[in-house]
Amino acid sequence: MLLYNSAAFFADVKPVDFFTGSQWDPESAKGKYSIAPLLVSTGLVTLGAMLIAVPLGIFTAAFLSELAHPKLKNILKPFIEMLAAIPSVAIGFLGIVLVGPGIAKIFGLANGLNALNGAVLLSVMALPTIITISEDAINAVPQSHREASLALVANKWETLFKVTIPAALPGLIAAVMLGLGRALGETMTVLMATGNAAVLPTGFLDSVRTITATIAIEMGEVPFQTTHYFALFAIAVVLFLITLAINLAGEYFVNRLRKFHA
Amino acid sequence: MLISCSADNNTIKIKGSDTEVNLAVQLAESFHTFEPGIFVSISGGGSGLGISSLLNGTGDIANSSRSINTGETLLFKKRDIKIDSFIFAQDAIAFVVAADLPIDSISINDLTHLLNGDYKNWSVITGKDMPVNIYGRQSNSGTHDFIKKKLGIDFSRYAKQMNGNAQILEAIKTDHSGVGYVGAGYVAHGGMHGIKVLSIYSKINEKSVSPLNARVIASGDYFFQRPLFQYYKAGSFEKIKPFIDFEKSDLGKKIIESAGYYPVNK
Repeated sequence: MLLYNSAAFFADVKPVDFFTGSQWDPESAKGKYSIAPLLVSTGLVTLGAMLIAVPLGIFTAAFLSELAHPKLKNILKPFIEMLAAIPSVAIGFLGIVLVGPGIAKIFGLANGLNALNGAVLLSVMALPTIITISEDAINAVPQSHREASLALVANKWETLFKVTIPAALPGLIAAVMLGLGRALGETMTVLMATGNAAVLPTGFLDSVRTITATIAIEMGEVPFQTTHYFALFAIAVVLFLITLAINLAGEYFVNRLRKFHA
Repeated sequence: MLISCSADNNTIKIKGSDTEVNLAVQLAESFHTFEPGIFVSISGGGSGLGISSLLNGTGDIANSSRSINTGETLLFKKRDIKIDSFIFAQDAIAFVVAADLPIDSISINDLTHLLNGDYKNWSVITGKDMPVNIYGRQSNSGTHDFIKKKLGIDFSRYAKQMNGNAQILEAIKTDHSGVGYVGAGYVAHGGMHGIKVLSIYSKINEKSVSPLNARVIASGDYFFQRPLFQYYKAGSFEKIKPFIDFEKSDLGKKIIESAGYYPVNK
């Protein structure tokens, strides 16, 4: 179905125009179907989210498994896992009334509906996944590694950064990949928080429109079986391929981790 | 399950325009106390969604803030479905800005240039150097479509596409350089704190007209006013007749008025 409909799209619009144009404007008379602004928007928001969530997530996981007092860990962990249960609309709403205006104030902008806003919100949504899986990966590093390191008069920090984290690396990469998949596929939050202007963004402070938001906005209204309708399937295929690749990569690293410790 | 199936004939399903959904709910609520045997279910989703729900049989009445377009007419013809329409109220679109913007009225010409992106800065209009931020609706909104056709423009590509009238008002409140458009019904009841509705004039020295003035709307003098349609299949008219009759009644008119719309006097 997905493939069939997008094939119908490419019968109408040349693939070259689809990937190289700079405008997504199916409503206009000529009908411009270019995935570039959407792809860049999605990439920008996701990249931003990962820049925030990856260091924060991995260091939180390291702290939880290596340094935190068990009591503190018992409090923090359910709290982090609960983050995953907040519905995306609620996070999107926070983006409109809290994070967005905050960003506007910090950067002196008129409004905060931009890629950075989306990135901050998505990082919050990706954090639970990254922290939970990273922590498992770090826990899975055999105790003997740490003991060997400590026996060679490495201190706690050196052990963590030079032995434990490198040993857990495949698992950490898997965690990042799964977090990335979560951020890429998120719809409601970015739809609400990023302003949805379909122009090629030039930076984090520009309004962006992601692939998911475009599908959500336009699918409800598009006349059945028109080029525009097929175009939405085509961009969905692109998104699907990206998430598939990321999930496969994540899976590959998880399996490597298992082999490594078997 | 059986009960819900047998009740189906007594349920009028109304779908469509988000602009009309609040009004339709209010009408349906008082209609139900008036006629408890008939249930009315209402959902939004956009004018086009309503019309396609007529097409695939999931709705009885399609609320639409635009008239049906040629593509849709063709689809109905193809399936041999006859449809009729009924204008149940007039809506006015209000242009809103932050309360501290130093203008109270705007010409249609200026508005056109603002929305299509020719004026990127307020300095042309207010003399104050401030970039323009447009807050519009998404392309699936009847309101978006209406403004676009009425002014004959393509919206600036930098226009933000918000998820609904309430979000636009929320954004205008915090953005001193924003301009947005919402149904007048939303402003009248959404509270005017921090925002201001612009009056519209077509020529310099002409009197500007506010969308909040019921008399002007009744005489059809406001530039951005439009009829709100309800489309239905000609075949199912008997089923929905009680509801439409209610909308035409005095009580129905009163509800339409108190919701910030303008009843059609016939």
